[in-house]
Amino acid sequence: MSVSPAFADTLTRRRLVQGIGAGAALLGLAGCRSAVDQDKAAPAGAQAGPRRGGTLKVATLADLTPALLFTQGPIFSIHRLVFNTLTRYAPGGLDPQPELATAWQIAPDGKAITLTLREDVTFHNGRPFTAEDVVFAVRNLQNPQRSAQLRATALAVTGFDIDSPHRITLRLAHPVTNIFDLFEFMVISAKESVEDAVLGRNVVGTGPFVWKTWTPGTSLVLERNPRYWVPERPYLDAVEIRVVPQPDALIASLRSGQSHLAAGLGGRDIAPLREDKAFNLREYDQGSGNIYLGVNTSVAPLDDKRVRQALSFAVNRDRIVKQALGGYGLASAAPWPKTSPVYTDADANRYPYDPTRAKALLAEAGHGGGLDLPLAFLSTAPAVAQMVQFDLAQVGVKTTLEPLDPAKFQAQLIAQTMPALWTGTHGFASNQPATLAVSAYPFNEAKNTSKFTDPQYTEIVQRAWNQTDARSAAAKAAYAELSQALLDRQFIIDLAVLTNVQPATANLRDVRQNRYNATVLDDAYLAG
Amino acid sequence: MTAAVVTKAPVVAAPAKRARNPYVQGLLTPRGITGLIVVGLVVLLGLAAPLLTSYAPTFQTSNALLQPSGEHPLGTDEIGRDLWSRVLFGIRTDLIVVVSAVPLGALAGCLLALVSVASRWADVLVQRLFDVVLAFPGLILGLTVTAVLGAGTSTVIVVIAVVEAPAFGRMLRGAILSHREREYALAARVGGAGPARLLVRHILPNAADPLVVQIAVSLSIAVIVEGAMSFIGIGVRPPEPSLGSIVSGSVMHLQDHPIYAIGPLVAISAFVLGLNLLAEALNKGVRR
Repeated sequence: MSVSPAFADTLTRRRLVQGIGAGAALLGLAGCRSAVDQDKAAPAGAQAGPRRGGTLKVATLADLTPALLFTQGPIFSIHRLVFNTLTRYAPGGLDPQPELATAWQIAPDGKAITLTLREDVTFHNGRPFTAEDVVFAVRNLQNPQRSAQLRATALAVTGFDIDSPHRITLRLAHPVTNIFDLFEFMVISAKESVEDAVLGRNVVGTGPFVWKTWTPGTSLVLERNPRYWVPERPYLDAVEIRVVPQPDALIASLRSGQSHLAAGLGGRDIAPLREDKAFNLREYDQGSGNIYLGVNTSVAPLDDKRVRQALSFAVNRDRIVKQALGGYGLASAAPWPKTSPVYTDADANRYPYDPTRAKALLAEAGHGGGLDLPLAFLSTAPAVAQMVQFDLAQVGVKTTLEPLDPAKFQAQLIAQTMPALWTGTHGFASNQPATLAVSAYPFNEAKNTSKFTDPQYTEIVQRAWNQTDARSAAAKAAYAELSQALLDRQFIIDLAVLTNVQPATANLRDVRQNRYNATVLDDAYLAG
Repeated sequence: MTAAVVTKAPVVAAPAKRARNPYVQGLLTPRGITGLIVVGLVVLLGLAAPLLTSYAPTFQTSNALLQPSGEHPLGTDEIGRDLWSRVLFGIRTDLIVVVSAVPLGALAGCLLALVSVASRWADVLVQRLFDVVLAFPGLILGLTVTAVLGAGTSTVIVVIAVVEAPAFGRMLRGAILSHREREYALAARVGGAGPARLLVRHILPNAADPLVVQIAVSLSIAVIVEGAMSFIGIGVRPPEPSLGSIVSGSVMHLQDHPIYAIGPLVAISAFVLGLNLLAEALNKGVRR
């Protein structure tokens, strides 16, 4: 099998990485190991040889929101189409691989990381990429106006030492276990056009595709970057992303040949395509978030841990996965997908469906006579809330459903004004565990929707975040401690990890995603 | 004089007898009877819901999207609820909504019409208010009211009442203005009837016919508005069933489980068709 230029590039970098410090060598080797795995996993179609040309037509449920370009990933993210990142995680885990940074070295005390940058990279406007662009990218995420979800990690960077145009050291306030989560999240954009970019006018990066035209609410057209730094990539001439706001219309656009790839559909939505051989249902192992039952711990009697644990035992997670997610999910009391370093089967099954035990815990807490609580939910996703309501009713907890439209739901989530209970989704569990606790709003130890405060939880989160080596035994112990803290306190009752599944036509090959579910089309092509 | 009254009496009595039952006459046409049967059947299904199914509409099982069987005549929905039960109780919900909302809208519209005919300034204000309400499509109005009141059955009732009020108001105002100028009204005025007595005893009884027809039309519109609001998720609050919310849930299963949509759609179609037939029949009756 011929090695694709992208992989050849990785192998070359391995030799570079091996030449630098021991910590970086460890990370670099791990990256190459993953690259080999990735190569073995290439589909049979890839062996026939990729085909150059063609326009990939994507149908997506939601339009791009340029104002949120640096905040979070939309449903079909352009983060890895128009932009690049400093490093990227290899599929199936958290081994960083080189992208715009070819090598890195972490200081022994964990308070600095030195990056060697690629020298052959230019932005779409022709300007060369240098260390100054890394400084801008970090400061951009530190800017509160960007509302970046990894802002806490970006703020841990306290200074920059530029040794040469392509070598930079980031000084850190403390060791940070999720620095590579930040690098995977942080897109390198041209600083001279960033204010235009957040208005959707002139989005300039170094990525495989160049931003051409955006018609709000309708479509976005990206064209091949002829000067892309990966030789002979991308294969596609263009990507056309059309907004199709209804799931059934999205399926219809795939079936009628109007699109090759559908983004944003849930497991239950894609049921009509399951038996159709004309389509591939691509599953990505990082998951696409979690379904949870949120608990406002300032509302009595939910301030009692036993009551929260009783609710956790009362919900039938397997039924939610089967019925609400069409089987595309993992019933789990812990937030972590199976590829997380902290995932264990025992944690996933910590709260099996056990109404008897739930009733016993409620009785022990003095609420054997039942409870009556409000339960808010996103009006566009009523199924899970109704299932939770039914399950809780079986153990004597009566709930009144309160539908909230998406804008109101988000506002109440941020303003900490949710009622006693709510169902929702969260992300960030697929990366380093500390990222969940410092960046995902429901879990944030400093301020969260549950109004949950506990000095011990704060201490555990800081311990998991401030490790010198993210892969050390001490870090793993801290992650496990964090997982146990979440499972014990249950201010967020995780119900299921969502399987990340994307339907596409059978001739579309080698589409990938990063750990934030941003679509990667560097190697993608349309077979004949 | 006395003789003249005696000789006139049968002449007056005959039309008066016909006028007492114009609705009955309209309903006893083939169209009216068909409407009565269809609406009666739908209403009966809704009222007798608890007797026609052994499942509560919110009871969930682990058997999702089952095909129709003896146990589940319309199968089950995506979270294992019996669809036959949900359709029956959905009809009941719709009945509660439309039977509450339409009289409320009619009352509001009629009161505003009475205010409107009382003074010119009030007339200008009320008519512009009706213009504003009529300028918005029902669903946009529904979204606006929901943003203020929150989703739920009471919001649907308020929206339908607001949507329907201008129709009743405009109709009654027009009828009053028209009847006010007729000879019988002039005669009553000459006979000493004050404005209130003239309105209540003479004009309103004669202006009521189109309102009765409008009630039947408004009931059918109300069924559609409820369905549309529940379809887009701002109607009856889950888990309570309504015909619109069941249709909404069925959309993603039209290909693999079409029976899911058929039950509520048949119920909505029959209800609306029956009410429209009744409206037409009543209209014909009062025009005779």
